[in-house]
Amino acid sequence: MRKHCFFTASWLTLMVVGHAMAEDRPFSSDTPQLEDGKRVYRQYCASCHGTQGEGMPNWEEQNALGELPAPPHGPEGHTWKHSDAMLYRIIAEGWRDPWNKTDRLTMPAYQEVLAPSEIRDVVNYLKILWTQEQRRHQADESIENPFPIQTGIPPE
Amino acid sequence: MHMIVSRFLRVFLLTGLAAVSFGSAITALATEEGLLALQYDVTGKRLFKIEANQLFQRADEGMTWNAIPLPEDVNEGQLRAVSVPSTDPQALYIAGPSIGVQRSTDNGETWQELSANLPSREVTALAVHRRQNETLYAVIEEDGIYQSEDAGTTWKKMDSGPSQKINRLVHSDMEGSMQTGWLYGVSDDAVRLSMDCFCGWRPTGALDAGSVYDVAYSLGNPKRVYVVTQQGLWRSETGGQEWQQVAGDGTELVALTLSAKDTLYGLNQKGELLHSEDEGQSWTYPDA
Repeated sequence: MRKHCFFTASWLTLMVVGHAMAEDRPFSSDTPQLEDGKRVYRQYCASCHGTQGEGMPNWEEQNALGELPAPPHGPEGHTWKHSDAMLYRIIAEGWRDPWNKTDRLTMPAYQEVLAPSEIRDVVNYLKILWTQEQRRHQADESIENPFPIQTGIPPE
Repeated sequence: MHMIVSRFLRVFLLTGLAAVSFGSAITALATEEGLLALQYDVTGKRLFKIEANQLFQRADEGMTWNAIPLPEDVNEGQLRAVSVPSTDPQALYIAGPSIGVQRSTDNGETWQELSANLPSREVTALAVHRRQNETLYAVIEEDGIYQSEDAGTTWKKMDSGPSQKINRLVHSDMEGSMQTGWLYGVSDDAVRLSMDCFCGWRPTGALDAGSVYDVAYSLGNPKRVYVVTQQGLWRSETGGQEWQQVAGDGTELVALTLSAKDTLYGLNQKGELLHSEDEGQSWTYPDA
């Protein structure tokens, strides 16, 4: 009986996972690193990019000062088009859109706030928001442009 | 009285419709003539011209256009784009609907089809990266923009593109991009700009100038950009953030390119070559 239950549970698990993969659903975030990434995201990123990564309204349109609202991080956005190295750099150093006429950075810099491992975790957390195809694309982009190597942390 | 008003309104409406139709015809005509294309080859110091589905070349100091042999299937398509890498004197790319993307490395003696990994041959625009000889961008009609980083052997879809059809695509190494540069997409109504990581298309500055035909930028100063429109030539010193109309001599152009020395070359609607040494204010025939 116990064997039968185990077999049924395994089969159901495989079915659910397989179904989710077939429908191109994001993978789970319940690993310690991804939980850390989620925590960092909620604390530092969500106020602009949205709790669910939905971004700001009209994020594709620059305002009169040339500022771009924070974009979404999901499939509809463009975060997935950047390599790990680029995403790391944007979070660490910030980024200024050349059409921005204000004194502010378009994306603030977080290298004085977040540890390198936290930046890496938050980038990995964002990947759960993408489709499988987008994850594949981003993984390809990251082959030659991986996260910067950190002492004591093996490269992915 | 009621009849007079109603007749007046009818005539007014019909006149309006006729005017709109005429406007559309003008736009269509201009679009057809937009099939003329001009491209300066920095390495070879020569000009390429597309006219009547044929490809021609001439030295920038030369006097005559010489036809470059094209593959036979070009006759069944519509030659739209010619593009050359900035430091590879051997490679020459052409593209167009039903033509796909093709490359020659012997000045047109032989051609290689590069569309095997593209979803279709309906390519409406093509650009070679300003600094990377093997990076190409191809616009597939009603699909999006594909990028190849191995000179056309493999392609990857990067973006669905703006909702407006792109007639011309130009890569620029202007600074400020998150990636390696920018892409200018010319549609009938406007010039749009995207970083070459494809993080969204933004309209360039207000350009109330009717149909837009072509865009070109200074190789030495990429922030200086020119655009030719139904209302003449416009220039930007800010990469397209703002445009100023060039007070010129009234020359009407439909295609534009710049030499490495910032000589502007243009084609008029008859496909005749003109050039300007004063940033587009006055134009002369080089043959004259």
